[in-house]
Amino acid sequence: MGTFIQQLINGLTVGGVYALIALGYTMVYGVLRLINFAHGDLCILGAFIGLTVLTGGLGGGHPGAALLALAFIAAIIAIAIAGVLLEIIAYRPLRRADRLAAVVSALGASMLIENGIMLIWGPDVHVFPPDLLPKTSWRVAGAAISFTQLMIILISCALMAALYGFVNHTRFGTAIRAAAIDQDAARLMGINVNRVIGSVFVIGPALGAVGGLFIGVYYREAYFTMGWTYGLSAFIAAILGGIGNIPGAMLGGVLLGLFNAFAAGYVSSSWQDAITFLLLIAILILRPTGLLGERVAEKV
Amino acid sequence: MSATRMGLAGGLAWLLCLAIPALAGSAWVAIFATFAIYAITALSEDIILGRAGIYDMGHAVYLGIGAYATAILNTAFGWPILATIPAAILAAALAGGLLSAPLIRLRGDYLLVATIGFNAIFILVMQNDPGGITGGSDGIAGIDVPALFGWQLASQNALFWLDWGVLGLALLLMRNLDRCEFGRALRYIKQDQLAAATLGVDTRRVKTLAFALGAGLAGLAGSLFAVQLSSVSPSSFVFTESVTLFAIVIVGGPGSIPGVLLGAALMFVVPEIFRDFAQYRYFVFGIAMIAVMVLRPQGLWPRRRAA
Amino acid sequence: MTRLLELRGVSKSFGGLRAVDDLSFAVEEGHIVGLIGPNGAGKSTVFNLITGVYRPDAGQVLWRGREITGAAPHAVAALGIRRTFQTIRLFGEMTVFENVRAGIHLRARQRWWQGVLGLPAQRREEERLAAETRAVLARLGLADVADKPATGLPYGLQRRVELARTLVAGPALIILDEPAAGLNEAESAALNETIFGIRDQGITVLLVEHDMNVVMNVTDHIVVINFGRKIAEGNAGAIRADPAVVEAYLGRAGDEEAAP
Repeated sequence: MGTFIQQLINGLTVGGVYALIALGYTMVYGVLRLINFAHGDLCILGAFIGLTVLTGGLGGGHPGAALLALAFIAAIIAIAIAGVLLEIIAYRPLRRADRLAAVVSALGASMLIENGIMLIWGPDVHVFPPDLLPKTSWRVAGAAISFTQLMIILISCALMAALYGFVNHTRFGTAIRAAAIDQDAARLMGINVNRVIGSVFVIGPALGAVGGLFIGVYYREAYFTMGWTYGLSAFIAAILGGIGNIPGAMLGGVLLGLFNAFAAGYVSSSWQDAITFLLLIAILILRPTGLLGERVAEKV
Repeated sequence: MSATRMGLAGGLAWLLCLAIPALAGSAWVAIFATFAIYAITALSEDIILGRAGIYDMGHAVYLGIGAYATAILNTAFGWPILATIPAAILAAALAGGLLSAPLIRLRGDYLLVATIGFNAIFILVMQNDPGGITGGSDGIAGIDVPALFGWQLASQNALFWLDWGVLGLALLLMRNLDRCEFGRALRYIKQDQLAAATLGVDTRRVKTLAFALGAGLAGLAGSLFAVQLSSVSPSSFVFTESVTLFAIVIVGGPGSIPGVLLGAALMFVVPEIFRDFAQYRYFVFGIAMIAVMVLRPQGLWPRRRAA
Repeated sequence: MTRLLELRGVSKSFGGLRAVDDLSFAVEEGHIVGLIGPNGAGKSTVFNLITGVYRPDAGQVLWRGREITGAAPHAVAALGIRRTFQTIRLFGEMTVFENVRAGIHLRARQRWWQGVLGLPAQRREEERLAAETRAVLARLGLADVADKPATGLPYGLQRRVELARTLVAGPALIILDEPAAGLNEAESAALNETIFGIRDQGITVLLVEHDMNVVMNVTDHIVVINFGRKIAEGNAGAIRADPAVVEAYLGRAGDEEAAP
């Protein structure tokens, strides 16, 4: 029972992070029908920016809640700006072009960001400062939940609840959902589709930056190819929930996190990723629209 | 320029390239031998992606299957290299045909993701060394040189001519593909699958064949790859390689033979000229991929269109 | 007269909507048959059910008395059934010649590996099929535009290219989905002649058309459907006098012409 609860806690922590990153994939796919391959790299860029703030601040004094908050804010702002620039430079000119051109542009952006990180911070693994967060942990039904885990789970849930409320209960959120269903119809209804697309490239990367920094804080490391590893997992989560479907991405993230955590208990870790990919392919073949169904209209 | 004159010019350029070993140093011979291998692989991806329009982003798998087939059959079972080549082609073609069966019903993006998944699984399987035959992360070393009628193709020049000979055959095959019903059917499917089907094109069968043919040609390139390096390891067939092949076709010009060759040259020959800046390689690739797509979304050297 | 094509009690629903409801009719060999009905009556759905794009929920489709219900589109094409589309579906990246050449696909006997190897027999077949394509282009007055990009042509010519693409296959039945849509008066009149010409070659024609001028003047037999159900059947004179047809049309004649 203790191990079960422990894996549940671990799975929820990682799942929350996956969900935060998956939202960026799914929102962009919703409005542009584009797999934003650069999203995972943007998230890890956020982790590096946060890390730089943390290590810079550490030199000056004692790490505290304020410093951590500063790191998150810096990462969020920087990555939101990077997301908007990405859209303007690499995607906007290709909106009417062949889909494959946009796919290759996205892949190029991914390579650019990943290797940009490598050029700035170097190819080595960076270790996060050890005394960043309190070492407190609590015992729950024979398992332990650390302060970091609790923080990740609570903040992830809060952010997702906020996003859910925003998308479902505000005028602008309705515009986002409308643009995802049919861009042309949305435009005819007076919705500024450019603003909607722009907003998606602010919200998605901002949430992703939090997710990226969570990864760094949780695993206490960051390296430049990390965007690919975690980005792909988050992307699988988005597909699992039904690409383009915002609640789906949340559910998919949590389920994938739990799946990974429990698989780790029963399968050797070297085969664990293979099983995740088999799961992905099985879903694609058996139920390509994901668990909650894709919210993407297809023109016939 | 008419298609015939284009073909003549291409044939002439190929003949000229055969003289590279007589004109350039051994470093360049190695670079151009590698180029030939990747050019064959890129052409094989063009069959699937550029012509049939199937979003295959796991093409390095078939290169890998061919390379591993040659490596395993040669080192573990003692087959002569030339005997492993048909087996490498067959193994890759079979894998392509079998994997494509469940996949080709999927719509564009889902197919792209599924092929990424297959690429990742392939790498994980090779790394985990099932049955002790793939050598894990280190791969397999000590692959023989090919022997032809007792004559060892041991020198670098001999391997260069072997690679360029096969590239010549691959180019002929691609040219023929443009002039036959099967090759045209691929283009019908790419442009309008429903219209193609109502004209009598068996879309499932044609797409499976495209996968098998493209994979088989990549398997052949993989065999040459194993011989060229005399070793194979999983890192040569990772997802980044598949992305590079995908990008070569789209950046060069889908369905355009000169376009794909140009793309392969840009990705594999140009970096060799700027070796001192090797760490910037993928950074610059990233910028170049965005720039080309934004400025020339149809590719650098697009397929010739109607007047 | 033999029944070339027959539908028996065919139904198809989308979601809760019955697009085609227990529909039966037959197409006699050598006839020109019109399928008409108000907008949204389910005409294009009927075509999609015949050509294998959709599979019927119930009922049978028979070809020369043999059941072909639910056959794949390419298998339907192999029987000698060819169609055009309401929204023209030409291959955008190809010339007129290449588009029409595509229609000949099933008459190519070459195997894929013969093509890849470029064997002499395959090359000879290529030349023969290209010559046949050019002959059809000439017959339909498309020889001058053969090397032009197909989708750059005026609408009327594009329709003719699509028609040429079906004819080059030497089909037994051609299904035309609104062939007069978007044509001007002169083009529409010429279309009548073209359709008669097709019939005179021994090809049976089934057409959906809004243009009553075309329907009443060319067809041997008319089937009228509304809300997916057959409401009348007969020759042009009988249909004109049928009260159910008059009600279905006149009740809503206003919105009929403007619709696509």
